[in-house]
Amino acid sequence: MVANMDDEEQWEDVKSRKKRVEITNGFEEEPDFSDPDDYVDDISDSELLPDLLEKRPKEADGIDAVIVVDNVPMVGADRLPKLKTVISKIFSKFGPIHSDYYPEKDGKTVGYIFIEYEMFQGARDAVKGADLYKLDRSHTLRLNLFSDFDKYKNVKEEWTPPERQPFKDVGNLHYYLEEEDCSDQFSIIYEGGQKTAILLNSTSGPSVVEERPRWTETYTRWSPKGSYLATFHGKGIALWGGEKFKQIQRFAHPGVQLIDFSPCERYLVTFSPMPEPGNDEMQAVIIWEIFTGAKKRTFQADMSGDDDRQWPIFKWSHDGKYLARKAKGVLSVYETPSMGLLDKKSIAIDGISEFFWSPADNMLAFWIAERNEIPARVIILSIPSRKEVRVKNLFNVADIRLNWHKQGKFLCVKVDRYNKAKKANISNFEIFHIQEKQVPVDIVELKEQVNAFAWEPTGNKFCCLHGESPRISATFYEIKGGKVECLETMERKQASHIFWSPAGQFVLLAGLNSATSQLEFIDTSDMSVMNTGEHLMVSDIEWDPTGRYLVSIVSWWAHKIDNAYWVWSFQGRLLRKHPTEQLCQLLWRPRPPTLLNHSQIKKIRKEHKSYSKIFEAKDRQLQNRASKEIIEKRRHLMERYLSYRRQCREVYLETTPYRRELRNGVNTDEVDSHAEDWDEVTVEILLEEEDIVLSDKE
Amino acid sequence: MKPLMLQGHERSITQIKYNREGDLLFSVAKDSTPNVWYTINGERLGTYDGHRGTVWSVDVNWDSTKLLTGAADLSSRLWDCETGAVINVYETKSSVRSCNFSFCGNLFNYTTDRQMKHEPRICVFDIREPADAEPALSFVVDTKEMSKPMCSLWGALNEYLITGHDDGTISHWDLKTGQLLHSVKEHTMLIKDMQLSSDQMMLVTASKDKTAKLYDAPTLEHLKTYKTDRPVNSAAISPIRDHVVLGGGQEAMEVTTTSTKVGKFDAKFFHLVFEEEFGRVKGHFGPINSLAFHPNGKSYSSGGEDGFVRMHEFDQSYLDFEFEC
Repeated sequence: MVANMDDEEQWEDVKSRKKRVEITNGFEEEPDFSDPDDYVDDISDSELLPDLLEKRPKEADGIDAVIVVDNVPMVGADRLPKLKTVISKIFSKFGPIHSDYYPEKDGKTVGYIFIEYEMFQGARDAVKGADLYKLDRSHTLRLNLFSDFDKYKNVKEEWTPPERQPFKDVGNLHYYLEEEDCSDQFSIIYEGGQKTAILLNSTSGPSVVEERPRWTETYTRWSPKGSYLATFHGKGIALWGGEKFKQIQRFAHPGVQLIDFSPCERYLVTFSPMPEPGNDEMQAVIIWEIFTGAKKRTFQADMSGDDDRQWPIFKWSHDGKYLARKAKGVLSVYETPSMGLLDKKSIAIDGISEFFWSPADNMLAFWIAERNEIPARVIILSIPSRKEVRVKNLFNVADIRLNWHKQGKFLCVKVDRYNKAKKANISNFEIFHIQEKQVPVDIVELKEQVNAFAWEPTGNKFCCLHGESPRISATFYEIKGGKVECLETMERKQASHIFWSPAGQFVLLAGLNSATSQLEFIDTSDMSVMNTGEHLMVSDIEWDPTGRYLVSIVSWWAHKIDNAYWVWSFQGRLLRKHPTEQLCQLLWRPRPPTLLNHSQIKKIRKEHKSYSKIFEAKDRQLQNRASKEIIEKRRHLMERYLSYRRQCREVYLETTPYRRELRNGVNTDEVDSHAEDWDEVTVEILLEEEDIVLSDKE
Repeated sequence: MKPLMLQGHERSITQIKYNREGDLLFSVAKDSTPNVWYTINGERLGTYDGHRGTVWSVDVNWDSTKLLTGAADLSSRLWDCETGAVINVYETKSSVRSCNFSFCGNLFNYTTDRQMKHEPRICVFDIREPADAEPALSFVVDTKEMSKPMCSLWGALNEYLITGHDDGTISHWDLKTGQLLHSVKEHTMLIKDMQLSSDQMMLVTASKDKTAKLYDAPTLEHLKTYKTDRPVNSAAISPIRDHVVLGGGQEAMEVTTTSTKVGKFDAKFFHLVFEEEFGRVKGHFGPINSLAFHPNGKSYSSGGEDGFVRMHEFDQSYLDFEFEC
């Protein structure tokens, strides 16, 4: 108010008022100190009232909560109230509005308006939520914070380049691939989670590469190509790698529970159900760039109550270019590295149930459940074109499961239908031949419920377990020449899970967490059972990345006693048993895909014999060396023991007289030392029993 | 080997012992009746009737004339070995966990449990004195300072007493004064059994911490450790070879799933020096509670939770078996 009035005038008024109201309270008149009537003081206000002036509201104050809305339709006075109603309806969603201002020119609104919210929060939410809002076909509202104008106006003319960060050398991330004997590493967590160790599976047995207590708080994960080891902590994730397993990167995400790597190892997705302190929003899912450690994008916990809280929520395409997530009725595909929505909008698919990327192409397969007489559908969509490669309608569907072939050649859709009695499920497999023109579909019918299904990782076979326990059968199929052929059905198996070797051809049928715990090793080239084994209470099976070894694990998380891991050869021969105190988890370190091309692999296969001679000689040498070491050790121990025994013998002989005395002179040092004292006794020993029936009384 | 199965007890076996010459095998169990068997053919001679509770321990003197048992009915009894008649009953305030004759057979000791506010006690008696006479030595093991003794042995030549305790400690006690001479703690859990070698110079202990350890008896120097994956209930040293046998198993109340197919109830043979397991003998349907080698080393016996005593005679291949070295 002071600003609006003239300073001098005000003071004059006050002065004159003072003069009129002179207080006389009976005392002698005080000397008059007031200024003469026309006195004008020459002190400026800034000298008199500096502190008051400071509190003077500036132009910039109070505008934090102001937003500028552009592209507002330009209307005349008659349509203005309607416009105002619409606008206030849209914007009062974000918070209580304090005031708004519609500047006009020549009787029409100029096309932009100002809205002031009660609080900054409202303004911020409005900019976030209403920017790009389509008022109608030709008016898309654009929003900005008023303070942003100031900020951008004040950008410095000169640009100083950012400081150079020193290069952090993490060492050779892939050193483990250069291991001489091509032995694989694996990580184990044992002692109830207290100790984590990395071991090398060398031919003579596992040797410890690195062991650290409390390296992780819950469990560990390897990155898909094996470069990094991720450990979980209360504050976030740490990535380790290189020869010494140095810490490469850290990601702060309190309460992180689940993580997912992108297949190219460039990004990491972390999930935490805990709200971040100091931040009102729940940053449940964060996508990080691994190399820089930067947060690329965060998402809120949008679990809209669907029953598929399955991790990973974000699914990566095989080359890491796209990232997809499904929410109710909508599929959002984001592209990297910008992390923005592909084509700036999500794909609306009403009733979408589950989706999966193809492991070899940028294609998505998903299915929509049956609803209101509209049959269920399976759709294969190509990204980024969003073209439907194949659609298939399915009738009478109870449930659908999708399963891509590891090389993207086929898609298997398992369809469960109720049988006539509406009790049990009958399953069918619809095999989509992706690589053929127009994607033909083959149908394989099974009369029983399917419990497990697995594709051969390299090759065209798949295996499924079907039936009710205990009459479970395993059936193998091969897709030859575009046709699905049943290779063999094996009856009466006690298996619950199928584990193919990563190299193909060999498969293990295992009964996990059951009383039987049978392991059956099958060679699918001739459908023979190579070997069967048993590992009581086995809870996990892990093939090594090359398919040479298999480890069966009894984890402490599943079973409190007998925690151990047993190493088997791929043919089913038990190589070694390793009981480990409270073993929790064992994971092989993955290998990146081979860099050899097809012709090189063929060449190696042809010259296989010459290579194998060299390796066998090496193995034999190793064996001899091992036994020599053992023998040396034993000899050493024996020598020490014998010298100890000699000492004992001396003491024993020395104390002989005492022993005689204690036992009245009888020599009892050896069992037969005083045989003269023995009596001879004849003992009957029962040799044979025979029942003779005397007579049959009847 | 052809095992002889001796079925004489209705409840689980607690201890078995051979006499010095090896022709008799004594077994005691939770059914309160000690049995004695001929080892040559497994025929039972007889029983010793009188106890009214679990018999925890048994010992026979060197010339097999007297038998000593300690039981949970708060008594320790001295029997005539041949006739089965009771010679003396020694009353105690809490159940007797272990009892042993001395080398000469004239003295014996027993240790008692911690029960009903009575602290564990170690007593030494002379058998030539009447039952109600004062013990030659009696002292209390204060459990606030030291855990309770589970088993005991006489040191060679009556000089000291060796006890194995609840927390894995082994102690030496002076037999004249009752003072604690020496103690070591290598095991981490309770010691269930201790046995001496035939020349009494080495001691093997069996513990719930899934290991058995070999010590030098006079100095209690820890020599070897034998590791298994089950709590060890008993261990014995072969008199003629460098072998140790271990027996054990999960206690009945701790078993959730154990399959007898997998043979968890087996006796494991280890090489004494190399600490390597080289053989297993299956057969028991429950954990093995007591093991003993025949004094001539050519056979051994095991008593189990299932109430059976199994006598095994070794084949020639066992007696010839050698480790490469």
